[in-house]
Amino acid sequence: MLKLFRFLKPYWWQVIVLILSIAAQVWATLRLPALMANIINEGIVPGNTDYIWAVGLRMIGLAVVSAICSFVSSYFSARIGANYSRDIRAAIFTKIINFNLTDQKDFSTASLLTRTTNDVNQVQAVVMMMLSMMLRAPLFCIISVFMAIQTAPDMSWIILIGVVAILGSLVLIMSLVIPKFKIFQVLIDRITLLTRENLTGLRVIRAFNNEKVEKQKFVKTNDKLTRLLIYIDKILELENPLIGIIFNGTTLLCSWVGISLLSKDFAYLGNMSAFAQYVTHVMMSFLMLSMMFVMLPRANVSAHRINDVLKKTSKINWKRETSSKPEKVPSVEFKNVDFSYANATEKVLSNISFKAIAGETTAFVGSTGSGKSTLINLVPRFYEATNGEILINDVSIKDYEKKDLMKRIGFVPQRGILFSGTIASNIKFGAPNATEEQVKKAAEIAQAKNFIERLPEKYNAHIAQGGTNVSGGQKQRLSIARAICKDPDIFVFDDSFSALDMKTDKKLREALRTITGESVVLIVAQRISTIKDADQIVVLDDGKVVGKGKHFELLNKCKVYQEIVKSQLSEKEYATELRLAEGVKNA
Amino acid sequence: MHNDIPESGKPKNMKDSFGVFLKSIKGYRFPIILSIIFAVGSAILGLFIPKILGDMTTIAVETFEEGIDWGTLAGKAWLAIGLFCGSALLNYAQAYILAVVSAKYTKGLREMILDKISKLPIAYFDKHKFGDTLSRMSNDIDVLTTSMSQEIADISLSLTTLIGVMIIMLTISVPLSLISFIVVPVSVLVVGKIMGYAQKYFREQQNTLGVLNGKIEEDYSGQIIIKANSYEDLALRDFNRTNEKLATVTRRAQIFSSLSFPVTHIFTNIGYVAVCVLGGLFVIEGRINIGDIQAFIQYVSRFNRPITEIAATTSTIQSLLAASERIFEFLNETEEEPDPEPSKTIDNVRGEVEFHNVCFGYSEEQPIIHNFSVKIEPGMKVAIVGPTGAGKTTLINLLMRFYDPSSGYITIDGVPTREMKRSDVRKLFGMVLQDTWLFSGTVEENLRYSNQKASLDDVKRAAKASNVNHIIEALPKGYKSDISEDSDNISAGEKQLITIARAMVANPPMMILDEATSNVDTRTEQLIQDSFEKLTRGRTSFVIAHRLSTIRNSDLILVMRDGNIVEQGNHESLLKENGFYAELYNSQFADNN
Repeated sequence: MLKLFRFLKPYWWQVIVLILSIAAQVWATLRLPALMANIINEGIVPGNTDYIWAVGLRMIGLAVVSAICSFVSSYFSARIGANYSRDIRAAIFTKIINFNLTDQKDFSTASLLTRTTNDVNQVQAVVMMMLSMMLRAPLFCIISVFMAIQTAPDMSWIILIGVVAILGSLVLIMSLVIPKFKIFQVLIDRITLLTRENLTGLRVIRAFNNEKVEKQKFVKTNDKLTRLLIYIDKILELENPLIGIIFNGTTLLCSWVGISLLSKDFAYLGNMSAFAQYVTHVMMSFLMLSMMFVMLPRANVSAHRINDVLKKTSKINWKRETSSKPEKVPSVEFKNVDFSYANATEKVLSNISFKAIAGETTAFVGSTGSGKSTLINLVPRFYEATNGEILINDVSIKDYEKKDLMKRIGFVPQRGILFSGTIASNIKFGAPNATEEQVKKAAEIAQAKNFIERLPEKYNAHIAQGGTNVSGGQKQRLSIARAICKDPDIFVFDDSFSALDMKTDKKLREALRTITGESVVLIVAQRISTIKDADQIVVLDDGKVVGKGKHFELLNKCKVYQEIVKSQLSEKEYATELRLAEGVKNA
Repeated sequence: MHNDIPESGKPKNMKDSFGVFLKSIKGYRFPIILSIIFAVGSAILGLFIPKILGDMTTIAVETFEEGIDWGTLAGKAWLAIGLFCGSALLNYAQAYILAVVSAKYTKGLREMILDKISKLPIAYFDKHKFGDTLSRMSNDIDVLTTSMSQEIADISLSLTTLIGVMIIMLTISVPLSLISFIVVPVSVLVVGKIMGYAQKYFREQQNTLGVLNGKIEEDYSGQIIIKANSYEDLALRDFNRTNEKLATVTRRAQIFSSLSFPVTHIFTNIGYVAVCVLGGLFVIEGRINIGDIQAFIQYVSRFNRPITEIAATTSTIQSLLAASERIFEFLNETEEEPDPEPSKTIDNVRGEVEFHNVCFGYSEEQPIIHNFSVKIEPGMKVAIVGPTGAGKTTLINLLMRFYDPSSGYITIDGVPTREMKRSDVRKLFGMVLQDTWLFSGTVEENLRYSNQKASLDDVKRAAKASNVNHIIEALPKGYKSDISEDSDNISAGEKQLITIARAMVANPPMMILDEATSNVDTRTEQLIQDSFEKLTRGRTSFVIAHRLSTIRNSDLILVMRDGNIVEQGNHESLLKENGFYAELYNSQFADNN
């Protein structure tokens, strides 16, 4: 939490104004009881009406001063609070948007999202409270103690008793209850989990007629939760009555002691009443502070989570400009590339070498977890190879300036990702200057033209946040169109065709062939039909290249490839494929 | 800041919701009334304390000359102690009663919600988001728990205090009381006005925050595309614009709402000063006692609090009613039609399934299955094929009676399923879906889920038959290992194997299977194929098929398109028909031939 205070630095003079205004306001408020004591002692007792009026006017003056200061402090705390959270939010967003995928993987998207939204809100709420209450309470406390001692020094021990009593009862209650809160959270989570399971497993539960079993599980947890809740409440509810007793008791004590001191100094008549008010203020400020300490741990967790993001140093460094002149003819080459995640001992990819050249399609196959997707994510430096070298157009990717490298690559991820806006704005995402013609052409190749032109607003049709108003297949086609519109040297398709049905898949690949004559095409795919015509197929197993070649060549020599093909075809078809392969071999 | 609560804190129909809520707590009316009595008692006892303290001062001053009358003072002091201890005790008693009541009440509601989940038709959940039901179980119940135990007591306490304080103040001094009565309500009114304006900005703040969160979510989840297209700078510019707007509205909302503080402050202070000055003058004139101003000042501060509390309570009550409204809305949803009474059962099932002129649609306006009839002989393998989104699961929904046909009927061994209990129909089928639902518990518990009476041996036998035994044994705690739907110590394919084993444990006479399409590596895929094969052997089985070999080896193929069954027959006959199946077959598998 303290670390995040550095974001208050630009507002230092506002903070000072804030503190001063709060101090002035507290002082003015607290002067009132002392003046009232004066009214009693020097106005009422001797019967001096003029004095009462004079002091009354001073009190009004103080009230006005206090109101003005209070207004100033409110204004500044609102201002500082809002700007502060804006700055933190911007800092996190800037950091995260420039994260590499490796950095992002360390957190997960959902967690990054909560850090930027909920956690900032948490911290903001506490900071705002601190700026008003947290500053006010100690000031109230200190000035009250000071004034109380000044009004009735003989009674100051009562403050101590009051404070000890308040703190003692708070500590007692909290120490009984706080350990239970953890169990409480566990039970609440369990209730949510069970409810969730009842919803997600709706069909399975009913299929197996297990409604009663589920109910039993739920009732068990629900009973436990209820018992715990009653226990916690039983103790928490002690707080109010206890505080009531302490406040009343202290006030009574003030009167009693004050009266007994009257014979010593008749001024105690007014002073004891003022003193009682000061003691109440002191105890109130301790209550306020204790509330802060309940809130603080939660905000502290949030603050830590925010700091974790801000502390993160990026693992990938980019050149300021591309240092050597890349070849005009596109190519992608891997030379003995290894990759493993940070802190992991096992390699995800080891010793990968191949070369993909312009006009050719290179496909990557392998079972789940074989590393094919990771491999092509290395091309745009989403991940950084741990060993070896990757060359694009014969220049190492490490020698490229970021934007220059990205400009050359048209990347289509596994999941179709769209942004809110229009269809056209999404297709033009990577090429803001593309003409209407280019957009249409890209859509046509990506087999998206038909459905787009059937929409009432066509290319200006609205895309909802996250693209939720188009189907999965349409999303995927639009994201392919986006890559095409960029007119890149290198196309990278990360299993982008599996959301399409076979027919569209085939048509799309045929259309694609008409424009990729001078580009490198890298495809990761599951379906054999998608990759079978590729000029080069790289077979991966457990992070290693176990085969390289064309479809029929691999059928003849690569066992892993044979297995994959076999699993997707019927026995008869597989036999036919093998026979054809045999023919190719002999030819 | 609670933007995770989906709907606003205001009930749609205040009066009705209040009625429903009152009715629902009727069972607790005695403890609630008792706690209200306690609350009122506690407030009344507390009222007299400042007056007694003031009396003590008066007595001290009046008897000062001839020596303070300590005896009377001590009596007053004990009285005060007795009163505030009694008040505290009553206060605790009411709080305790309400805590127990609200805990039990919400416990009951939670159980009712869970019961309701099992009684609602599947259709309800196909139309409503899970999150919606879930938030009723967590957020809404949460609101009820906290606000119920506080508000009922608070409002009675506040009202009593308010009225009592007013009476006592009037008995002390009418003019002084009038000053306070004017000042305090005026300040509350002014603050209310200000908060009304602030509310507008708060709403704006909430909306802007929503917009900003949306942007952030979109950018984070699409980061790979932002990177690939060097869009970072533009995204940042866009973010900053909204972030700036949020800061502006937050500032406005905060400034407005914090205005209330100085405003109340100046009003209370002015009231305070007026009481001091006028009170002082009255004492000099001999109209009131000196101890009375002291008491009066305390009463003024006690007069402020209930007014602000009552104002705060109204908004809490609103959210309480909104929460209870949402809960009861769910509890009042129409339940599944009850099972017929008496119901028919089938012993020794042969497995003959027949559809008689079945019509069905998920909504009445849109019928999708038109007059479908087919007879499936015992032991037949039926493949259901069609493109994605053709409604292949509809048939399963009808067979399992998750939905019922709008007209026509289905028979098993000649018995209409409509005349059987739902649970008896479902017992006849083993079901393996693509969605591999496992609950959090051990592997063994999950496997036994289909048949609670199965022994560990039965479970192991089924696991062996489903080729998953060695995978389970390899887990650190074997069959006692914990798993759940989203556990990542086993792969998607292995989860599928476990669900197959689960179906096998039940050993049902008929089978419903959904072949997985993706996310399974080739080796596991073969294991799954193999266990599917075993599972369907000798049983009437329905398979949502994606694999050509499965389709070809089945006795009957039902071809679906746009929800309807458009063709039926076996592979050869359907190819000859040269219809939709032939088209589908050629587009999907043609280039392999």
